[in-house]
Amino acid sequence: MLVYFLRRILWAIPVLWLVATITFFIMHVVPGGPFDREKKLPPEIQANIEAKYHLDEPILIQYSLYLKGLLKGDLGPSYKYVGRTVNDVISDTLPVSIQLGLVALLIALIVGLITGITSGAFANTIWDRMSMFFATAGISIPSFVLGALLILIFSHYLKLLPPALWENARSVILPACALGLAPAAYIARLIRASILEEKHQDYVRTARAKGFSEMMILLRHVLKNAIAPVVTIIGPLTATLVTGSFVVEFIFSVPGMGQFFITAVTNRDYPLIMGVTLVYAALIVLANLLVDLLYPLIDPRIKLE
Amino acid sequence: MNRFLALLIALSLGLGFLWVANQKEESGNFSAFRMNLSSEPPTLDWSLATDNVSIRVIENLMEGLTEYDAELRPIPAIAKRWDVSEDGRVYTFYLRPDVYWSDGLQVTAQHFEYAWKRLLNPKTASEYAYFLYDIQNAAEYNAGTIKDAALVGVKTLDHLSFQVTLKKQAVYFPAITTFTATFPQRQDLIEKYGDRWTDPAYLVVCGPFLLKEWHHEYRLTLVANEDYYGGRPSLDRVIFYVVSEETTALTLYETGDLDRVTLPPIAIPKYKSHPDYVQAPFLRGYYYGFNVEKAPFDDVRVRQAFSMAINREEIPRILKGGELPATSWIPAGMFAHNPTIGLSFNLKKAQRLLTEAGYDSGSDLPPITLAFNTDPTNRLLAQNIQAQWKRNLGVSVLLDNMEWKVYLGQLKQDAPQVFRLGWGADYPDPDNFMNLFTSTSGNNNTRWGNPDYDRLISEGASELDASKRLHLYDKAQRILTESDAPIMPLFFAAQNLLIRPSIEGLTINAMDLLSLKKVRLKGEIH
Repeated sequence: MLVYFLRRILWAIPVLWLVATITFFIMHVVPGGPFDREKKLPPEIQANIEAKYHLDEPILIQYSLYLKGLLKGDLGPSYKYVGRTVNDVISDTLPVSIQLGLVALLIALIVGLITGITSGAFANTIWDRMSMFFATAGISIPSFVLGALLILIFSHYLKLLPPALWENARSVILPACALGLAPAAYIARLIRASILEEKHQDYVRTARAKGFSEMMILLRHVLKNAIAPVVTIIGPLTATLVTGSFVVEFIFSVPGMGQFFITAVTNRDYPLIMGVTLVYAALIVLANLLVDLLYPLIDPRIKLE
Repeated sequence: MNRFLALLIALSLGLGFLWVANQKEESGNFSAFRMNLSSEPPTLDWSLATDNVSIRVIENLMEGLTEYDAELRPIPAIAKRWDVSEDGRVYTFYLRPDVYWSDGLQVTAQHFEYAWKRLLNPKTASEYAYFLYDIQNAAEYNAGTIKDAALVGVKTLDHLSFQVTLKKQAVYFPAITTFTATFPQRQDLIEKYGDRWTDPAYLVVCGPFLLKEWHHEYRLTLVANEDYYGGRPSLDRVIFYVVSEETTALTLYETGDLDRVTLPPIAIPKYKSHPDYVQAPFLRGYYYGFNVEKAPFDDVRVRQAFSMAINREEIPRILKGGELPATSWIPAGMFAHNPTIGLSFNLKKAQRLLTEAGYDSGSDLPPITLAFNTDPTNRLLAQNIQAQWKRNLGVSVLLDNMEWKVYLGQLKQDAPQVFRLGWGADYPDPDNFMNLFTSTSGNNNTRWGNPDYDRLISEGASELDASKRLHLYDKAQRILTESDAPIMPLFFAAQNLLIRPSIEGLTINAMDLLSLKKVRLKGEIH
């Protein structure tokens, strides 16, 4: 297990290098620069700024300077947030996104599993149809619509929860729901399909022949096998949820990292674009690794090689 | 599997509790003014701040030599008075002796000299260094052609007297000294703390409020400066929340969490009759520019015809934000504003000019593209203008929208035939608006130049006699918007706000500056 773990970690290095390199060059090809303004700067001031950030150097020199910094764990200065490094920006905002993302993940798992299992267990009944209606709606409704609806209902009309800001535990409920309900719907559909498939397997017939109740068969046998696809998607889902969502953070004024996936690009804040992309890539790699380590716990037939 | 689920749930709940435990909620009664900022302030270093969010915070933490009165005239602040030499080139500012930094040190002329030279130092790479380009050798020092900062025309005469020598007379110069980029700075602290000198733990200021907390991307808390030379502000606190989404800010206003909010355009019609609604003029102009090197706009008659074919009265009906239709360029509320200048709606004349230019009908014109940066307001207006040109001239115009930075790059490299831009006042003087279209201005994307116009703008900047100055700007505006027409002004913007009635003493000015030192809360404690 340890050797497997170390080998996967070593493999992550070329993956991250590739992500960094591709992002670096694509970013510089996009038209418009970080210091383009409505009020154009005099050329001498533009030159001073470009010199300060080495933007006057050839692109390959900039690339090598970036990689050198990266090796030392230095993601460089933010062009937009003067005086703050990308490390500062990420360390300020990533913990918030992780907090929100984990609560959203919990909602996604609880709601998704309950709905999906109910639907799979009582296929073609009213419960199944209601659950699948919820799941289809959850996947179809974009988070900005869902967010606005939640604010309207729970803040505006019922006055139960704050519409935005990040003041206390109550502040996390609406954004976490807005973030977690779409993956909940996805998990519900996945687990339902998986249960229905498993229910036709020979071992289920054998269990029925032995006289086990349907509930017992579902909980002790079917669910164990049906859960595998959900575990597979938990890895990338966790990485997506904990790095934050632009839309949800924007609507609910959550000081997380997700906003930078959009604003860093619109500001052409090159080091910040690189920083958030690398964090996201690293989390994807890490989450997939954790999922792979979890497989043998769920299904003893799977062995790590 | 059950163990796995239990582990996951326990982990999430544990983290949730940890987070709740970490939240520190302050209790106690204090009067606080709460408003939103549209983004995280990029910096609180006033040599580097260029955006209105940072400036909004800085202007409540710091003060400069002068400040604006209600009519946007510069009046004494840290400078108790100033003298101007007979030739108008040398300004001597005399500082108040009772102004102290929040660490107890007196504010002196050296602090101004250091700040101004730091602003101009090429290593600072300040975008607003050009604000001081009227000063002798300032541009040269900033460009690196002069290495010795001592040659720049700023000098400490004694610890409370500060002298500035200009290259040539600039009548608007006192207004420049109201601007945050010219506020004094502490060399000792900047050198000691480096980039961290604006952190709440290190920031030393001399304005009405102190920076207590800066929770990045979320909240800034300012507290009253007990030792402010103008007297302690009535407010105990100012809380700025970073709320980028305008409709979220509006919801927070409705739930009582904010005291002032800018209305999103879509909400203006609904709130126009709200008792908290305030509308105020804004020194910001919106125009369409023509690239005069591209046919058919290389012919002035076509430019004039296109400008005359627009009924600008339709604009406020479309945008609904209290816009003031404009045919001239110097905005309402600014010296030399003259609404009689410009090409007003005249369909017959527009059609005649087009015929004279060799285009009997709109379909004879080459394909025309109107470009704008992607934004709902820009799109709505472009569609209206497109429809008016079709209706009034029979011209088919293509609309082309681009992402903001792509758009700016396009303007720089190859400006489209017609493009939209705006300009907000840096200082309330016509020079700030008219200078844009001089032949040497980097902001002139029209490729148009006229030596007569350049001369008038140069003379206007140094003319002390108000009536002569007015005459110079009238002439320049007639060239810009009538005889040469490289641009067609469309409207001047307005501010649309909701302000809680319990807020007293908050002055709304056309520069959208927000000084909170005189604000009081009427019988309400948050």
